[in-house]
Amino acid sequence: MRQRVLLAGVVAAIAATTLLVGGTFRGDDEGVAAPTTRQLVRAGLEEQQRARRTGEPSHYTRSERALRQALAADPNDVHALIGLASLENTRHHFREGLALARRVRYLAPDMALVHGVMGDALIELGRYEAGFRSYERMVALKPSIAAYARVGQARSLLGDNRGARRALGLALDAAVDAQTRAWAYVELGRLDRSELRFAAAARRFQQALAVAPNYPIALDALGETEAARGNLDSAIAFQRRAVELRFSPEFAGSLGDLNAVVGNRAAAQRAYARVERQERRLAENGVDTELDRAMFNLEHGIDLRGSLALARRGYARRPGVEANEVLSWALIRNGRCEEAVSYSNRALRFPDGHRYFHRAMIERCLGREAAAQRLFRKALATDPNFSPIWASYARRQLR
Amino acid sequence: MRTLIIAICGVAVAAAVLVLKGPSPEAGQASSHREAPLIAEDPSADTTDLYAFRSVDAPNSLTVIANWIPAEDPAAAPNWYRFSERARYSIKLDRNGDAKPDVTYRLRFKNREDTLFLGNTVQDYTVTRAAHGDEKVVARGVTPPNNIGPRSSPNYRQLAENAVTNLAGGGKVFAGQREDAFFADIGAIFDLVAIRKGVGNEGGGKDFFAAYAVHGIALQIPISQLDDSDHTVGVWATTERPRVKIRQYRRHGVRRFHEERQWVQVSRLGNPLINEVIIPTRLKDKWNSLSPDKDAQFEQYYREPILAAVINQLYGLGVPEKNRDDLVAVLLTGVPGLNSTGPKLADMLRVNLSIPPTATPNRLGVFGGDTAGFPNGRRLEDDVVDIAERAVAGKLKGHPAGDLLGDGVDGNDVPNLAEFPYENDPPSGFANAKGQQKP
Repeated sequence: MRQRVLLAGVVAAIAATTLLVGGTFRGDDEGVAAPTTRQLVRAGLEEQQRARRTGEPSHYTRSERALRQALAADPNDVHALIGLASLENTRHHFREGLALARRVRYLAPDMALVHGVMGDALIELGRYEAGFRSYERMVALKPSIAAYARVGQARSLLGDNRGARRALGLALDAAVDAQTRAWAYVELGRLDRSELRFAAAARRFQQALAVAPNYPIALDALGETEAARGNLDSAIAFQRRAVELRFSPEFAGSLGDLNAVVGNRAAAQRAYARVERQERRLAENGVDTELDRAMFNLEHGIDLRGSLALARRGYARRPGVEANEVLSWALIRNGRCEEAVSYSNRALRFPDGHRYFHRAMIERCLGREAAAQRLFRKALATDPNFSPIWASYARRQLR
Repeated sequence: MRTLIIAICGVAVAAAVLVLKGPSPEAGQASSHREAPLIAEDPSADTTDLYAFRSVDAPNSLTVIANWIPAEDPAAAPNWYRFSERARYSIKLDRNGDAKPDVTYRLRFKNREDTLFLGNTVQDYTVTRAAHGDEKVVARGVTPPNNIGPRSSPNYRQLAENAVTNLAGGGKVFAGQREDAFFADIGAIFDLVAIRKGVGNEGGGKDFFAAYAVHGIALQIPISQLDDSDHTVGVWATTERPRVKIRQYRRHGVRRFHEERQWVQVSRLGNPLINEVIIPTRLKDKWNSLSPDKDAQFEQYYREPILAAVINQLYGLGVPEKNRDDLVAVLLTGVPGLNSTGPKLADMLRVNLSIPPTATPNRLGVFGGDTAGFPNGRRLEDDVVDIAERAVAGKLKGHPAGDLLGDGVDGNDVPNLAEFPYENDPPSGFANAKGQQKP
């Protein structure tokens, strides 16, 4: 369940890819490209779309193959390059994504989409202001659903939920298809959820399901919200459907945690085994899963030293807010609390319940119990369900 | 060889049409576009077709029709096909050849409720006319609901008729769901197998836009409000969306948002297929954001169309690649003696208001000897795919390929209406029948 925070990033990446692929198709230059290159690009982008829909990572491999073939025929095909940049972002290879996006920007500085993909990479690399500038360039060139979605994510990252709602409202207004609308409803629900307005959040997620029945991302979000409200049975039911409908180690991890909380060990073990299998499949298909695996292990007390090594490697690749959070948690769990402070500081630039909790653990570890108490309380006030495992731990620490 | 020529040009032009229209309905089904519908990025902003003509029943008016939201599946339920509330939709007219708007009709839409679970697709709208630096609301209208079926939206013809609204000062307006009058065989052409009956101009194609709907805006404007000594007006349609910034700004201590303070034009349409066939990918966003009076910078792409070069490179047909004055004239200045607006290069649909309408239109327009049709304006029955294929193949330069080409779909699957708003009622979701075979 602790993968929840990372999940937000992953979902954002998925949504970004989604919107990106949409954009790429729309502008597809089929009228003038040689048919084979055009078909390869189209096939490559369709594979990414399938990946987005199902989560199944083998589509990434197929997408890359098609796009690279297209680029062999025409190394400057901007759609193939943008598709590849987005694919690298999806695989968490943000430096590579950024490099490709820069190349497209050189070839086509007036194409709105490239600035969006570039901003996605910059933000994941922790270069927020540069990322925001890219997003604003995208909007200036062409305000669209994809651009409004990114503005919404940026505002929510900055803690401006009201502004994020307005941006999502613009995206929702522009959307005429069920999936985009469902996506926007889920994002709106996540904002409610972050404000602990669980009932409002659940209504949004239900709205998403009403327009796109069985939309797994809404089912997962609903499962988490139900858990936060203490409705564990219905949480498990939603989460199980999400896991059945979509390949996602995050969803499977959440299902395992919920089962663990209610004492159903066998079901929890099955779900955790699925997490492991799926992480392996992701890695086989070129997805960088180091931070996610590190976080999962740290949450569940598995191989703490190995997790620290994983977290360091993940941090080297994408030193964004999530990497700072995971690395600080890994250091804490390995008793290296002083070293964790600077990473924790950076993670707390965008605070949430879990990050306050980490800070509390650091303070305690450094012998500053009063500060630790204050931060345990702050973590729980920010999000009483920041983690099914560690939220109850935090509650037990209160004096 | 003939089939091959048709196939090649067909692929190129019709594939472009596919892009123009968004995913073809068939392609959509193949990749399950209800599940993964984000293929078309911004269908509520991207203009798909623009028509401008004098009609037989209202010869003293200019009728302008523009469409948005391609490939609306009438059976999609629940259904949210609506104009965007946060966009501005405009029809612009240039009277003096400078390619700047002299008269603009701008529409803003408002939803009746914030959720659509009950399928309320009725929208209220206002029409603002801007001319001579003056802005005035000239109509407040209501769209009919989308055509769900006989129980939800009974007697649709009547509903649509009731939705026609008069403009203050003369003329009328309609906005709402319509049958897509555009016709083309996307599926066959896209498949490289090309034409179903082997020869492009014998019919037998399958209209992939049959039984799909669009959202249309139709205006009928008295010619007396538009005409001048040259008699020719330029017409184009645009969509704008608000630019926003990430951070709010403060003014007098109040937090504000950067919304609806600055509009960015995200789509424009004058002549058909320009965005798709002529403008290179990397410049499409920029081209869409500009007014036609800035079009001189794109001249090279008309004069040396990438499409002609690609056709020749692949198949060696000898289609003229350079010095395409013919395309520049048809698309950027108008044809002398027909609908020229002077030397200013601009992509506008040009209509000579002094040419009367005909009761027996030829689908090939001017190519078929009928000066009341495309490229003198564009009527619903003008076969622009065939015309475009022939034009690019050098029809106006006397190239032999210029008479052969076509996609085998020569007309719309349902008759257009004889009166305003001319595009027929949308097919109902209940009587859903998509992609009908032509006889």
